[in-house]
Amino acid sequence: MSDWEPKITTFLCHWCSYGAADLAGVSRLQYPHNFRVIRVPCSGRVSPKFILAAFRHGADGVWVSG
Amino acid sequence: MKHPRFIDMSKCIACGTCAEKCPKKVDDPFNENMGKRKAIYVDYAQAVPLKYSINKDECLYFKKGKCRACEKFCPTGAINYEDKEEKVVLQAGAVILSTGFKTFNPSTFPTYQYASFENVVTSLEYERILSATGPYQGHLVRPSDYKEPQKIGWLQCVGSRDINRCDHPYCSSVCCMYAVKEAMISKEHADYDLDAAIFFMDMRTYGKDFEKYYERAKEHGIRFVRARLHTLEEDPETKDIKVRYADEKGEIQVETFDMMVLSVGMETPAELVETAKTLGIGLDTDNFAATGVFTPVETSRKGIYVCGAFSGPKDIPQSVTEASSAAAGAGLLLSSARNTLTKEKHIPEERNIIGERPRIGIFICQCGINIGGIVNVPSVRDYAATLPYVEYATDSLYTCSQDSQETMAKIINEKGLNRVVVAACTPKTHEPLFQETLVDAGLNKYVFEMTNIRNQCSWVHKDSPEMATAKAKDLVRMAAAKVSLMEPLKETELEVDQRALVVGGGIAGMVAAKTLSSQGYQVYLVEQTGSLGGNALLLSKTWRGDDVQSRLSELISSVESDKNIEIYKDTKLTNVEGFVGNFKTTLNDQNVIEHGIAVIATGGKEYIPNEYLYGKDPRVVTHLELDKMFLAGDQRLKDVKNAVFIQCVGSRVPERPYCSRVCCTHSVKSAINLKENNPDTNVYVLYRDIRTYGQREELYKEARNRGVIFIRYSLEERPVVENINGRISVRIKDHILQQGIAIDPDLVVLASGIIPQDNEALAQMFKLSVNEDGFFMEAHAKLRPVDFATEGVFLAGMAHYPKPIEESIAQAQAAVSRAVTLLARKKVMVSGTVAQANPVMCSSCSVCIDICPYSAPSFIKQGPFTGKAEINPALCKGCGLCVASCRSGALNLKGFGTDQIMAMINEI
Repeated sequence: MSDWEPKITTFLCHWCSYGAADLAGVSRLQYPHNFRVIRVPCSGRVSPKFILAAFRHGADGVWVSG
Repeated sequence: MKHPRFIDMSKCIACGTCAEKCPKKVDDPFNENMGKRKAIYVDYAQAVPLKYSINKDECLYFKKGKCRACEKFCPTGAINYEDKEEKVVLQAGAVILSTGFKTFNPSTFPTYQYASFENVVTSLEYERILSATGPYQGHLVRPSDYKEPQKIGWLQCVGSRDINRCDHPYCSSVCCMYAVKEAMISKEHADYDLDAAIFFMDMRTYGKDFEKYYERAKEHGIRFVRARLHTLEEDPETKDIKVRYADEKGEIQVETFDMMVLSVGMETPAELVETAKTLGIGLDTDNFAATGVFTPVETSRKGIYVCGAFSGPKDIPQSVTEASSAAAGAGLLLSSARNTLTKEKHIPEERNIIGERPRIGIFICQCGINIGGIVNVPSVRDYAATLPYVEYATDSLYTCSQDSQETMAKIINEKGLNRVVVAACTPKTHEPLFQETLVDAGLNKYVFEMTNIRNQCSWVHKDSPEMATAKAKDLVRMAAAKVSLMEPLKETELEVDQRALVVGGGIAGMVAAKTLSSQGYQVYLVEQTGSLGGNALLLSKTWRGDDVQSRLSELISSVESDKNIEIYKDTKLTNVEGFVGNFKTTLNDQNVIEHGIAVIATGGKEYIPNEYLYGKDPRVVTHLELDKMFLAGDQRLKDVKNAVFIQCVGSRVPERPYCSRVCCTHSVKSAINLKENNPDTNVYVLYRDIRTYGQREELYKEARNRGVIFIRYSLEERPVVENINGRISVRIKDHILQQGIAIDPDLVVLASGIIPQDNEALAQMFKLSVNEDGFFMEAHAKLRPVDFATEGVFLAGMAHYPKPIEESIAQAQAAVSRAVTLLARKKVMVSGTVAQANPVMCSSCSVCIDICPYSAPSFIKQGPFTGKAEINPALCKGCGLCVASCRSGALNLKGFGTDQIMAMINEI
């Protein structure tokens, strides 16, 4: 295996998944650092355009959670 | 008496350093003592306020006089060993008791072997085992050897429905449902074929949508075994649990389980019994706070209210409902004092920044060592200063502290900043604080962005400080890119019409109207029939024995004579326009009513049976008809030789797969009444499960003591009612005798279920939803039981689900309580984060209108843009669903604009 790390763009719903990510912090759960979170008011806000744009800007994966 | 926590709450930032350094491990009561925590602790990760405290009985310093590690390591100096118990005196006009319950402790009962067998746990312990923050981090393993259990059994009614061992004659109301839930979650959890079996007496899934869940559990392969286990044995080597029971055919079965869960019931803790004495409130024989059917949240002492399990075992929705109901009671007492203790806040005038080039200030928080210990904050700060439009970047030890806030406001003014980024903890808790600082500095609160470099960065990447620093830089860059595109947003104020509409003049509707009126609001009460009273007009007695008719006529006359209540009988709604605070409702007589809120209390009705000879033989009646006979003092009832009640008529059948909740109690009560009328009457109750939940169980016991015979039948083998040469014959297969029996009754009472009114039209008018069974759907089944998703509309009574009088009343009061939270404000603020339509781009496809859960979009009705979409900001919740779905790009979400999110994506 190479050292290659995928870049992941994440859209998290403010009301649930974003809060869950906060809680993971409070519980000091450790996880890989290679994703970046964009907070959205609802996963319903995530337009397909955003997902395509993320890939266009070099994301190797997109995670929508809500 | 306020106990000392030995922590200065204003200084503690819940960084957790103290607990990390504390050398003393103690049992964790939150995890039912199955896991460990430190002597300095927070109860659980979601605790509010998130502040630590020291357990004095365990702390080494308090016990041995040395250690003080927490004090040494606390970055904010929050430890205070000198903290003292404090006597607090509060002046209050009303008191609400929501002290809850404790679970039954089975350790003294040898039958369950709870204390001696490791793999016998209580249901609450099992909840913790399933939890991600539990003792096994959410892995489903058993306590003795941490192996994944292949076979788990649940034992129902431990500490409930039992007078031999625990003196709790009542049913704890919630255990059947939670056992089914635990079994379902366990099945989902296990990636193998887990064998889950529930041993029960009667399956009491009587709540809204509960019966469907029970049916689904059966489909998922959960075994429901109707049996009472008499002994549990442990295999001394494997620690497995062997059980023996008699199955439904009476044959002895032996099974071995890896784990047994005891479904423990609820009880009032002994110390609460003492508190009740101090407060001078009455308790019933089961040590629950005594309340009445018509006053479900009032204790025996005026001004003291009760909600939740202290007044009897109940589930979350009922507890939440009662909480609002108790608040309505307290609000009624205190309504004259409303707004007398408020202070007005001075807000500086907002600076107009439109057209200005962005001047961004970035404030980075070290959060003591929480962020600063991992992320290289100075390098993030220096990096931030190089970003486009950034005018100023700084860092501080605690950006949220009072002095940092003052400094921030000063800097905003000095540097002429017009956009602000804070990189710190989570916006979920701290965004409002920083926004307030912006407002104090004369900026609009929406030219702000917060990014989370603590909870979602330093705390979760402890082992790679470099990568955490790189991530923090990325997050700051993304936030800066977004904030430069943020615009000041306006929050509009809407007046709330102070009048209320109540739809439905049954008990729930009348109580709602009366409660609103008592709080000083004007009410329009609309009833579709010619008289008030609803279904209660047909009832003889409550399960507690109150005379319904006398209480009902008191209520009707107090409503009819109330000057604040305008009653419209024989009236229906034909149209509803408007939104929260400003509804305009048209009635069928063309009258138009304007109101700020609405309570829907349209009730339900009795199912008219077409089975069991109903309508073909006058000796077959429904239980409401029997009540009518009781009310009329019908002499025939005294001469009845054999009476048969048939339960679940029209309920729990494939066409109507829900339980009507009230029928078991109703039939048991009527059976007792028949026995009271004439002890020689033979009374048979044919049932599937007797669901006399809570303290109603005591009626069931009374009925059996009086000689009422209960015979169980199954859905597959329903009773057969025939007319044979003029006499009625009821045939049924007795499960215990395993053979058919025949009864020749002269009275057959059908416990016909409750069906909803035709709610479709009303639902459309107010944009509400109904469930598959036709009952209205609340905003959240557990936490918002009387709210609708549509703001300003509330729900009460049987329109929600079949329920007894006390629950309808509690719900009506709760609905009013929720409504008053809107009415009392007189104005509603509409958030700035709402969708906006550009009519020029709109193609009128109506996707936004169809998709919006809050009915915010509509077509413009007149003017140059007729037929194009517009968004009502008062209804919009800012979810952005419409924006993402708009094919024409005509919609945008302010505060989460497409350009703003794209800017963040660009910067990743």
